Amino acid sequence: MIEKLGFRVIGFFRTVWEVFLLFLNTLKAFPSVWFYRRQILDQLHVFSVNTLPIAAVIAVFVGLGAMIQGTYQSSALVPRTFTINVIFKSTILELCPIVLSLVLAGKLGASLAAEIGSMKISEQIDALQTLSLDPIGFLILPRIFAGLIMLPVITIFANFIALFTVFFVATVMTQWVSAPEFISGMQLNFRVFELYFGNIIKPAVFGFWIALIGSYFGMKTHGGALGVGKTSTNAVVVSAILIVLFDYYLGAFLL
Amino acid sequence: MIQVRGIHKSFDGKPVLKGIDMDLNECETTVILGPSGQGKTVLIKSLVRLIRPDAGRILIDGEDIFTLPLKRFRTLQNSMAFVFQANALFDFLNVRDNLSLFMRMHRRMSHAEIESAVKSAIQFVGLGSSVLDKYPEELSGGMQKRVAIARAILKDPRVIFYDEPTVGLDEGNVKKVIELIGRLKEEVCATSVIVTHDIPLMQQVADKVALLKQGEIMFMGPRQDITSEMLHTLYVMGEANEP
Repeated sequence: MIEKLGFRVIGFFRTVWEVFLLFLNTLKAFPSVWFYRRQILDQLHVFSVNTLPIAAVIAVFVGLGAMIQGTYQSSALVPRTFTINVIFKSTILELCPIVLSLVLAGKLGASLAAEIGSMKISEQIDALQTLSLDPIGFLILPRIFAGLIMLPVITIFANFIALFTVFFVATVMTQWVSAPEFISGMQLNFRVFELYFGNIIKPAVFGFWIALIGSYFGMKTHGGALGVGKTSTNAVVVSAILIVLFDYYLGAFLL
Repeated sequence: MIQVRGIHKSFDGKPVLKGIDMDLNECETTVILGPSGQGKTVLIKSLVRLIRPDAGRILIDGEDIFTLPLKRFRTLQNSMAFVFQANALFDFLNVRDNLSLFMRMHRRMSHAEIESAVKSAIQFVGLGSSVLDKYPEELSGGMQKRVAIARAILKDPRVIFYDEPTVGLDEGNVKKVIELIGRLKEEVCATSVIVTHDIPLMQQVADKVALLKQGEIMFMGPRQDITSEMLHTLYVMGEANEP
């Protein structure tokens, strides 16, 4: 029992160390960004165009959910502009970035882990090396680049849709508040940093983890189709844990 | 040209290669023959630095490939090509992009020059231009193998490594692959290193043969010197000795 636990602890620290090394190697490959530009463009496309419809659907319902909760939980004594302020901030600072990143960890994280994993078991990664191409530069650098850039872009898009949905439902469909009240609610205690935090910093960190963890588990794949399945599951689980963890720490240190 | 000196490799404490020594000469086809599980793939992958041995040296043109800086090794690697057992074509690229990838990334060639080189290579291996827009999964095993050989040719290599080139192919495709290996040697004087368990393949293409048994070279010499007793020992006794 203790022996098993010991192996697990050692395994955990070994994984952390290997992820760190992969990150360092990716940094080392950074000067080759121009050399791998075509792969980077491909990944930017994969991370954006293929995820925008999902992001839009999620954003609409995140916005609606935030509004329902906000209006339900605010008492009649609370001015409605305050409630709008809470809905606005909770949506752009927390709900949209985290819900979207968790869903994309499932979609992108799993698919890139499976893609790299199946390349590993079918010797395609070895083939890259024999073609004098660095697998980290060719496969991982573009994905991390895409995660860092596209998650913020998708989140900006999703936040915009979520807020527009809330605005439309609150001011037009239910006429719960007027448009000027809605705008002044958003302006209450507003800090520009909040926009950077919710739209850029958080999603960039989450995108980085999704890409790095997916790539790491992909590169560690062995054992055929079963191995690829395990890889995808591990990538999603670990990315999701890291997203939730960093969601807390980023808020605690930066807000 | 390639000198292998005292290569040892173990996995999880189990020795796979036990002190391999061999010399591979220019314009020569060397076949490393042995049944499955004898360390053939580990050996051939060590020759191109895909696997790092625990001990020993591999010298190409007098330079130890494991101590060479990566940049220098890449230059050397540009003159070597590898045909994988399962072909290892990139499944996210069509045949054209699979074939042109190396040239696009490493050679200063125009789009037209690359296209022309790709078409010549695909014709050399006996396939039509119609396959260029297909993805590897749309091709048969034999066609994939020929595309893999075309990808190797396009590196304009001095040495081509083949890992079990005939495995999983029908008789017709085996013939075509054997013919291609022969043509590459005759027309471009490519040095070929082939690992296989396929005795007929060895008999048709080898200039020199190394018999690999349980991680050791049992015999190395001209193909003509191979006797049926040696093959019997290698296959029948070798398999009987496996744990």
